[in-house]
Amino acid sequence: MKIEILGPCLSVSEIQELTAVNSARFRDEVNAALTGSTMLIEVNLSKTRFMDSSGLGALFALYRATAQRDGVTLRLLSPMPEIQQLLELTQMQQLFEIVRR
Amino acid sequence: MKALLICPSERPAVPHLAASGPLATIPIFGDCLACHWIEHLAAIGARKIRVIASHGADQVLSGVGDGARWGVQIEVVAANVEPTRKEASDCYRPAGDADWLPAPNDVVCMSHLPGCPELPLFESYASWFAALVAWMPRALTPARIRVTEFRPGIWVGSRARVSPIAKLIAPCWIGDQASVGAGAVVGPCAILEDRAVVEGKASVAQSWVGPDTFVGPMTSVSNSLAWGSTLVDWRTDSSLHVPDPFLLSSLSKSPYAATTDRFGRTLAKPEISGSQSGLVTALRARMGRESNP
Repeated sequence: MKIEILGPCLSVSEIQELTAVNSARFRDEVNAALTGSTMLIEVNLSKTRFMDSSGLGALFALYRATAQRDGVTLRLLSPMPEIQQLLELTQMQQLFEIVRR
Repeated sequence: MKALLICPSERPAVPHLAASGPLATIPIFGDCLACHWIEHLAAIGARKIRVIASHGADQVLSGVGDGARWGVQIEVVAANVEPTRKEASDCYRPAGDADWLPAPNDVVCMSHLPGCPELPLFESYASWFAALVAWMPRALTPARIRVTEFRPGIWVGSRARVSPIAKLIAPCWIGDQASVGAGAVVGPCAILEDRAVVEGKASVAQSWVGPDTFVGPMTSVSNSLAWGSTLVDWRTDSSLHVPDPFLLSSLSKSPYAATTDRFGRTLAKPEISGSQSGLVTALRARMGRESNP
């Protein structure tokens, strides 16, 4: 997993999978990287091949953390079709702004 | 009159449909594809039907039985490859035998549903779903007494359990012994096969849910085929194995412990092994001696 801070944008990428194994680390590391100047969080899911309910829980925790900060936007970038299906099955696609690049 | 039924062999466009058995035995509206065809052919006068199965002949035989339920005689023939209609006719239909159904029902390849040749089943998942939705009004034949048309365009199995606060939107089909929980929304264009369970506040729209499939609470199955833990988006052919059983999973038992097939029929009991058989024989002999001193 790679976390970059590009000005007001926090970019999280190169996530191979988001499961019970690494969801706590994902949550902790992204929360640690959040600063007062962060206005945009982009989670790039283009390389994420597998996600389970723990991974969905980590994304939801990030959504809640973002909702508590005024003016901060959370985006999911280019999820693979399988991950898009999982988001639709759990109706979580309604929570997130999903962008394809 | 006689007829030939050709079972479709593997179809690369729809691999998930053949995951649990030959395509001829895939469950459609509570019965297998071959059974729908046999019922149709019996209704138009067939009395002897030869089923040519190039894949899983034993499973096809188990699915269709001996034909007594339709009043026909069925013979299942194993073939190495799926024959064309002409090949099947040349091979299995004697030239001088006139006692056959008129064409095109004399030799039928089950690549579509009865009466819908314009809607192929196995060209893609989208074509499969479109064919099922189009055929839904025809699925309730006079021989099928376990499903009734509850409201126009809404068919519900007689042993299905539907919550009074579930919302059913036509057209939809809720199979026998299926269950729809409180606040769930089923339809439009939703098909729940037998014993499917849709939990409370879940929604199923533009989708087919296979038999013995559990759809978890508050989940949303749309534009998909859901069977066991496999979810296939019929628009994109994308498939997903859902890792968490509380979202989507199979309710059927392990095949090693199964006592019923996927239509709920009792499977044959395993034969008694040699040592047990000997024990039973000895006990019977002893009982015979004791009853006849």
